[in-house]
Amino acid sequence: MIKRRTLLAASAALGLVMGGAAFAQDVPKIGFVYVGPVNDGGWSQHHHESAMQMKEHFGDAIEVIEQESVPEGADAERVLTQMALSGADLIFTTSFGYMDPTINVAAKFPDVKFEHATGYKTADNVSAYSARFYEGRAITGYLAGAMTESNKIGYIGSFPIPEVIRGINSSYLHAKQANPDVEIAVVWLNTWFDPAKEADATQALLDQGADVVLAHTDSTAPLAVLEKAGAYGFGQAADMAEYKPTPRLSSIIDDWAPYYIERVQAVVDGTWESHNVWQGIGDGMVGIGEFTGPIPEDVLAHVTQMKEDIASGAYHPFTGPINKQDGSAWLAEGEVADDGTLAGMDFYVEGVSGSIPN
Amino acid sequence: MRLDPIAAPTPARTLGLPALAILATIALAAALAAIAGANPLETFGLIVKGAVGSKFATLETLNRATPLIFTGLAVATAFRARLWNIGAEAQLYAGALMTVVIGTQLGLPGPLALPLMALGAIVAGALVLLGPVLLKTRLGVDEVVTTLLLNFIMALFISYLLEGPLKDPMGMGWPKSPALPRDARLPRLVEGLRLHWGFALALICALGVWVMQTRTTLGYEIRAVGQNPQAARFAGIPVGRVLIKTALISGGLAALAGFSEVAGLKGNLTSDLSPDFGYTGIIVAMLALLHPLGVVVSALFVAGIFVGSDSMSRAAEVPTYIADILLAAALLFMVLAILLTRYRVVRG
Repeated sequence: MIKRRTLLAASAALGLVMGGAAFAQDVPKIGFVYVGPVNDGGWSQHHHESAMQMKEHFGDAIEVIEQESVPEGADAERVLTQMALSGADLIFTTSFGYMDPTINVAAKFPDVKFEHATGYKTADNVSAYSARFYEGRAITGYLAGAMTESNKIGYIGSFPIPEVIRGINSSYLHAKQANPDVEIAVVWLNTWFDPAKEADATQALLDQGADVVLAHTDSTAPLAVLEKAGAYGFGQAADMAEYKPTPRLSSIIDDWAPYYIERVQAVVDGTWESHNVWQGIGDGMVGIGEFTGPIPEDVLAHVTQMKEDIASGAYHPFTGPINKQDGSAWLAEGEVADDGTLAGMDFYVEGVSGSIPN
Repeated sequence: MRLDPIAAPTPARTLGLPALAILATIALAAALAAIAGANPLETFGLIVKGAVGSKFATLETLNRATPLIFTGLAVATAFRARLWNIGAEAQLYAGALMTVVIGTQLGLPGPLALPLMALGAIVAGALVLLGPVLLKTRLGVDEVVTTLLLNFIMALFISYLLEGPLKDPMGMGWPKSPALPRDARLPRLVEGLRLHWGFALALICALGVWVMQTRTTLGYEIRAVGQNPQAARFAGIPVGRVLIKTALISGGLAALAGFSEVAGLKGNLTSDLSPDFGYTGIIVAMLALLHPLGVVVSALFVAGIFVGSDSMSRAAEVPTYIADILLAAALLFMVLAILLTRYRVVRG
């Protein structure tokens, strides 16, 4: 505070019309807040790595400040305020639970720009950005259906929010394309990152007879358990290449770097505006990791084609006919889900057993 | 090796050893900062600056200290009577739960709702600790085990409620309760910043506990039971009843942490409301040597370390986990120091 006051006094004394900010030779300061540790091997690590790629791209033209393992509770609001006060120009808040804290803090700092990942609330200085992970889920789901021998696949759900429910539905629908007899069992953990719980849940799903497990949590713990059991799984948020060739069959890789570069560039250029974007395989925000393990040729050909079709827009993972879990019609033959319904998805599709915690 | 009690420890021992404990903690933290590739002195400077370097930082530290004062008082009160309440976390959530239920379900006007929410929280927290203490006084069940395990039971119960009956229908699936109406929230102490009346309430409680302990019969009885239950019983003090009263006060205090966090800060209940405030309360109480006014000081210290480490980690790129290590080390060194003020290590 003292600094700024002296600066203002000095500028006034010199009779300059320019504000204090013009004096500071500060480069734009970009903040990142992560929900897990930056070496979680998954979600947070990939945001961090994308941030580092962005930093490399801009070199000394910008400054990056980061904070890892920030709980989504009351502490988040303090951390965001601290960042804004310390002069951040743009802050990326990289977990769903930061949504309300982001909106609250943004209201107090109209000059600071915020980008919230995977949420749905925006403001003049708050953008929302997310990836169409369900496109990747279509591919991993198909592989799961093709590779299961017990006809039972497991799914580790984090929180019952639309993003996760979309992933479950997309996985199941495409597993069923590969294997009409497939069943899916879902376990809810109510956490993004807890290797012990994730490992326990994986074991529980294996004990229930599943032999392929998909995860919507951030650590590599499920793959470690699957490796021991000789079952299959997938990299989530990151390639998790250390589990190649098995148990990891493929992976959904989040690539945020191009988006981060684009948005920071907008701040540098002074053209930043609030928006709400949702990008998928075609835009490169969702990547599909190399296919490994004993995947049969025809399955390999199918998923490779599917990936191309999704990227080109020729195929939408939610294309009718699809019924809701209760048997009521959702999408008619050939009808494609609209983004609004997908964004608020709070129902299972027909064939998924169990109920969404409600 | 064995421990021989020291009848009258010298002042050098009673003051020197805790000071040594603090120095040892600082030395350990300095070593860790150096390992992380940062300049230790600079790291400490950044922690202090991040904790009290500005009005915002200072108020945030007070804010973070508020629930810790409540849980610290809860633990200090119970431990004074040698009632090992490890369950402040569960009592906190019971209080938070009652706060949300009364605040969102009854539709009362603010001036009526707030006192009722606080009262409901106190009753809920007290009841959560009443069970273990009855088991202890009636059946001799170890309260360390029962209070500790209740933390997990409560965490799962809250999880269940947030997935079911208490789930916010507007929450898009995110497990949180509906928000308290605006007028059922504690007003802010400083306009525009987050510090709220919960902090004032915490200070009042600290003063109240201090008066209770030093100026009332119950306080005397609690200390007597804590120092020697047999002697207390022999002197005609109803030990069981004193323990029950202690438990009600302790549980109520911990529950007020939940009330204050929900009504003052968060506005709703989530399963991550407390980043281990209940457990950290044990550290706070031990560092304060169980003194109610000392609890305020040590809660501010602990909160300062947390808040300061947050901003330090961004500037110096030392992970915030250093705060956890610092506090754990401070506790261990302090407990050791306290032991060594009372006992001498003798060979053979």
